[in-house]
Amino acid sequence: MNKVYVYDGTFLGLLTLIKYLLSSKIKPYNIVTSDYQENLFLEVINPHLKVMNNISEIFYKMFDKATMKRVYYVFLSKEENKEIIIYYYLLNYLKYGYALHRMRNLKCVSKVLEISRKVGNEAHKLKGFVRFRELKQNILYAEINPDNDVLEIISRHFKKRLKNEYWVIKDVPRNMVSIYDKKDFYLVSGDDVKIIFDLSESEEEFSKMWQDFYRNVAIKERKNDKCRRNFMPKKYWPYLLEVRDEL
Amino acid sequence: MELREKLIILADSAKYDASCSSSGSQRQGNFGNAHMAGICHSFSADGRCISLLKILLTNACIFDCKYCLNRKSNNIKRAMFTPEEICTITLNFYKRNYIEGLFLSSGIIKSPDYTMELLIKTMELLRYKYHFGGYIHVKAIPGASEYNLQRLGKLVDRMSANIELPTESGLKLLAPDKNSDKVEKIMHYVKNKRNKNFVPAGQSTQMIIGASKESDLDIMQKSENMYHNYNLKRVFYSAYIPVNQDKNLPSLLTPPLKRENRLYQTDWLLRYYGFKVSDILDKDNPNLNILVDPKASWALKHLEEFPKEINKCPYKELLQVPGIGVTSAKRIMKSRQYFNLDFADLKKMGVVLKRAKYFITCNGRFSLNKDFLNSHFIEANLVLEDKSPLKENNHQLELFHE
Ligand code: SF4
Repeated sequence: MNKVYVYDGTFLGLLTLIKYLLSSKIKPYNIVTSDYQENLFLEVINPHLKVMNNISEIFYKMFDKATMKRVYYVFLSKEENKEIIIYYYLLNYLKYGYALHRMRNLKCVSKVLEISRKVGNEAHKLKGFVRFRELKQNILYAEINPDNDVLEIISRHFKKRLKNEYWVIKDVPRNMVSIYDKKDFYLVSGDDVKIIFDLSESEEEFSKMWQDFYRNVAIKERKNDKCRRNFMPKKYWPYLLEVRDEL
Repeated sequence: MELREKLIILADSAKYDASCSSSGSQRQGNFGNAHMAGICHSFSADGRCISLLKILLTNACIFDCKYCLNRKSNNIKRAMFTPEEICTITLNFYKRNYIEGLFLSSGIIKSPDYTMELLIKTMELLRYKYHFGGYIHVKAIPGASEYNLQRLGKLVDRMSANIELPTESGLKLLAPDKNSDKVEKIMHYVKNKRNKNFVPAGQSTQMIIGASKESDLDIMQKSENMYHNYNLKRVFYSAYIPVNQDKNLPSLLTPPLKRENRLYQTDWLLRYYGFKVSDILDKDNPNLNILVDPKASWALKHLEEFPKEINKCPYKELLQVPGIGVTSAKRIMKSRQYFNLDFADLKKMGVVLKRAKYFITCNGRFSLNKDFLNSHFIEANLVLEDKSPLKENNHQLELFHE
């Protein structure tokens, strides 16, 4: 019978399970979170492992930094079978070592490289596409709708960039919020924060100026909508002040 | 005049400068920082990346360059920002994450050094009063003193000057008040002084394409010289948009975008693919082929040097294959140490097989019948496969290279 293993849905939980599988030499058929689809032909096992405190240290000793970063990015992706891809990638790493990431003919390698690149690209794009509105009491507030769970990656970026501002970024589809208090940012569920959407005095003025600017920098003789959509997919437009009226 | 109206006028008159990059600096300020790889914040309706607040300090000018909207003989509405106004817009745009920083250029008022003083004043406010750490690209004014170049360069990430036209005769005709010496003096100065506290992101320049009679050979030779002499990060090519009527200007219906695209591709070949201008253009063929990209066009003329065996040929020759870029060439080099590559593997590495298949073998095998491999057949197919107009954003590519 094909064995499916359940973990708690967190990254450290996944690492703990993978550690367990690797040391007990178990090859799972799949790895899923607890809301998996029941299936008659699968045997579901939930080992209820306690997440180890030093689990990330253990992994950083077994794998190099770049590998761990890639694996983490895959974990943040919307890819359906990401857990089992990660498992096979790490398993093969133990066999081939650092040379693994050059072996693109292995499915798990090309998948990991492809997915982590996609997540990295989306995070990079969003570093540009986030639009803050200034609320009363000088809080900057933005909403985003990324395909992948990149809220933490972009929060790290804004922690450096806008370190002396209060800001809040909400991932609308995941209902997750990142709150920055001029020291650090915290990721919390959208249910736990109430945002009073009350714009500051000057917000209208500057957002209008931005829209004016946006319209005026385009050279009409060069109009190229295909190219624009290629670099700035329509999916993001509802949260981009300057184009949402064109939708 | 209201601030909003000024912004509209001074953004409108700055938009013909093609430069948009915000990469190459690691500045960190109390308010904002620069991102090494650069970030695009939006894309305008023409598909160009918006990364910087691109504005002029003023669109008033004492010069009369024929191709320029702001020339003194044009009867247009003039506006001028105060340094504080520029700070207000920059800081407010920056904190809302509309922009990566500021691109500031200016028409020349009173004198080059008077204009420079105003630019310096603006930068001093941004950096010292507001502790702004975002990216700043400023256009130095040709004819400015070294003393002022020194002051301005300390405050910004990129400082540059536009050469505008590749030959002195072109300049005489269209920009009678300018000469290339003044521009190249700035480039020379920046090249010698550049360090991590002085213009850390280096310099770029721009040429207008199609406003004067110069050939692609003239243009690319000028670029090659400037890359060589001044260590430029980029030369931008900007298809001439007919903003003015003049007997010395061509009457174009549409800007020469395709030509601009071919020039960018050639520029790429110079900087990343080990080509020289003389490999691609010469006196007898002074212009690029509009139908086929310059690398394919070179390969078609040198069919005797192909096919290249993917599993053996040196890196330099991989780069000569149409459809293989720097990234895929590097991947091939790495992977083939571990296993023999075949056509399916190449696809995974980002090789555009539709273009490459005529020029390569994998383990001695062609992917198509040898009889088809004559230059007419290949050229006809490459023309059909040329999708470059679809991804014409030549500036965006920079992200992955600089
Ligand atoms: S000096 Fe610059 S702003 Fe003035 S007319 Fe010439 S190109 Fe235009």
